Amino acid sequence: MEPLAWYIAGPLIGITVPLLLLLRGKQLGISSGFRVLGAQIFSSWEYFKYDWKKDFWQLEFALGLIIAAVLILNFTELGIPEIATESAYGVVSKEIYELENGILFFAGAVLIGFGARYADGCTAGHCIMGNAQLAPSSAISTVFFFVGGLIATYLIVPNLFNS
Amino acid sequence: MKSILTISLGMLFAAVLISSQAFHWYRIQEMFHFDSFHMFSLLGSAIFTGVISVWCIKKWKISNVNGEEIRTNKKNIRPVGNSIGGLLFGLGWGITGAFTAPVFILVGWKWQIGLISILGVLLGTLIFGALKNKLPK
Repeated sequence: MEPLAWYIAGPLIGITVPLLLLLRGKQLGISSGFRVLGAQIFSSWEYFKYDWKKDFWQLEFALGLIIAAVLILNFTELGIPEIATESAYGVVSKEIYELENGILFFAGAVLIGFGARYADGCTAGHCIMGNAQLAPSSAISTVFFFVGGLIATYLIVPNLFNS
Repeated sequence: MKSILTISLGMLFAAVLISSQAFHWYRIQEMFHFDSFHMFSLLGSAIFTGVISVWCIKKWKISNVNGEEIRTNKKNIRPVGNSIGGLLFGLGWGITGAFTAPVFILVGWKWQIGLISILGVLLGTLIFGALKNKLPK
């Protein structure tokens, strides 16, 4: 499928910011949901001793993400790009989300979890919400998110997924 | 009621990330290879919409549904955290083609990879929780 045009999708993503502020009084963010999960497991750790109830809504938001994914991705073709060549970006004739790539997804996900907490936010909290506030911390984080992504794309992905 | 509202907003957010294919490994690779304008214009217009929205809310001191004035907090600068943490997050983004929201989207689609990724993000969060006081800000 062709993706939904950016000039529709982009503003719809951006509109989530005022919707959450107006309807729920919350600033868009998702990765703090994992801090809430951490607080349920290791409640005695200093980092997890905090008012996690204020972030709990992010897990409800995440539940919405899962429900929508079940409905849309299992019953429509909307989310599936038509990959032009068999070897697009080093993925030779195989579906990227196959279980054989599990270890790579796990390793990458650890980096996402650690990095998001260290940077104090992820793509939602920094790139969208933080930049919408013109926050300097979010501008810095966004630049480094992108630098990290470029390093992974050119130096790591070609060597990992090709084997 | 509040929960249902939050879940619905999550569903809207996911519907856009899915139909724009921003959640997909392929579109992220395409972006980092500068092969398409799609993701850049998508993120750019999302941020632009956010900037205008926040500006309007501040300018007219718009209240939320409970009648309280909306206050937004900027996250503090953490020079090392924003840069090193950001860099590590970016590495994970490049490898998995996913940021945090798409990890949940994967759970609803390719549940094995999704679950593995959720556990990975959780482990990363726990590692940070364990090391927090030893890391420079």
